[in-house]
Amino acid sequence: MMINIPKKPKPSLLSVLGYPFAFLFSIYSFFQIGFNLEDFRRNLQNRRLVTDPLFDPKWEWAVENATAALIETIQIAILASILGCFIALPLSFYASRATNQTTITYYIYKSFLNFIRTIPDLFWAMLFTVAVGLGPFAGVLALIMFSMAIMGKLLSETIDSIDLGPLEAAKSSGAKHNQAVFSSALPQILPNFTAYFLYIFELCIRASVILGLVGAGGVGRIIETQRIFLRFDRISPIIVLILFAVIAIEQFSVWLRRKIL
Amino acid sequence: MNIPKQPISQKVLKYLLTILIVAASIWSASGLEVTPERFFEAPSKIWILITAMFPLDLSSEAIERIVPKVGESLFIAWAGTVIGALFSFPISFLAANNVTFNVLNRFTKQILNIIRAFPELILAFVFLPITGLGPLTGTLAVGIHSIGTLGKLSSEVIEGIDEGPLEAIKASGGSKISELLFGVIPQVMPTVVSYWLYRFEINLRASAVLGVVGAGGVGAELINQLRFRDFPRAGTVLVVTIAMVLIVDTISAAIRKRIIKGRDIKV
Repeated sequence: MMINIPKKPKPSLLSVLGYPFAFLFSIYSFFQIGFNLEDFRRNLQNRRLVTDPLFDPKWEWAVENATAALIETIQIAILASILGCFIALPLSFYASRATNQTTITYYIYKSFLNFIRTIPDLFWAMLFTVAVGLGPFAGVLALIMFSMAIMGKLLSETIDSIDLGPLEAAKSSGAKHNQAVFSSALPQILPNFTAYFLYIFELCIRASVILGLVGAGGVGRIIETQRIFLRFDRISPIIVLILFAVIAIEQFSVWLRRKIL
Repeated sequence: MNIPKQPISQKVLKYLLTILIVAASIWSASGLEVTPERFFEAPSKIWILITAMFPLDLSSEAIERIVPKVGESLFIAWAGTVIGALFSFPISFLAANNVTFNVLNRFTKQILNIIRAFPELILAFVFLPITGLGPLTGTLAVGIHSIGTLGKLSSEVIEGIDEGPLEAIKASGGSKISELLFGVIPQVMPTVVSYWLYRFEINLRASAVLGVVGAGGVGAELINQLRFRDFPRAGTVLVVTIAMVLIVDTISAAIRKRIIKGRDIKV
């Protein structure tokens, strides 16, 4: 009996060119980074400079000096994620094909959100510290941009795939475009909005820890000053405190998500 | 007409959530000394900064300094992603609950969680005294953080596979190894590779920032120009960075789409 086995398809152009390119680019990147085993081994002998104090944490010092800054960090994340997400809510309706039929404004809003997303969070923080001065307010503004960009992207893509039926029904019973969007598109995406909000809140908590490195408030400020003096014995308990706070907040957010959704 | 009413429990939940959100914002704003006036003043202050950046400093000296730094960020991100991909791939099999036994995959997952909890920047300045100032530190930081995130994502992909092909291989006498090679890997590879590319996009932004602590890349350039109040040059740094991120994002998104969608094959 002859079995007709289908032939294996020829590899596509993408894989013929892509894999060798990726491989060569990897080698070139490692070469560019200057990975040198000799230097690495020599530097590795300095490791006690870091590892010894890292495992000899000064707990009292950290609790005394970092608690207020840690609370500040959490406050920055709360305020920025709430404001950023609620600013992004109307924007994402304009940045979606389903609810914005005007091509020009659609592209303007879409590229505005994409543009914000290309600038890393700490770059925003640096720019805002120059613009509005050092302190937590710059951090809040930076994380507003950060959360707005992510929420805008996630939410506008969700709106793209909503059920258009209710929208049509509202319009055929005489609703204006904005009324139709408010009454039939908004309720469809609210569960997603809540889920994304909690996710972005977690991202903001992680991001706000490092804002202080450029002077934008929060616990990073204390880490930065101790880092300059190589006081890793003071940094390690702060990092552990941050970890506990982050994990506790994540657990709270998981619990809240289960309650709401 | 009889319109159904919203159930009472939903109403209560709605009001409770609103109160929670408002109270949390007020508590945060009061602790940070953030007032509405400062928000209204902010746009004009930002506008002053933006106008100070134009016209951009496009002298050949500035370009020659900035472009290699942006390139360095690109290399850090790529090499970090390669490290993350190479190490996370075998680890993700250990962390998948349909491949290994219960104790081992729970243990591996916890390790991945711990790795993921440290931001790249914190890893970077812990490595800094060991690996020295420069891109190697940044690469290690990005790479190790990527192992955590990619390991988690890949193991979830492996847990979600279709068990049919595995059964078929088992029925025709295949070993556990051939189950993995011919049953699991072909199924998960497209999604896993697209996650690698997605991680590369994220790492690009992370590596741009790493220069702030001296771990290589374009971040050092930006923070120095801003410190010395050389705004036209800082503007150039920003524009070149944004251009590179946009180009890489576009290419990577196109490749990811092609990998997930696949190619039309005539049978």
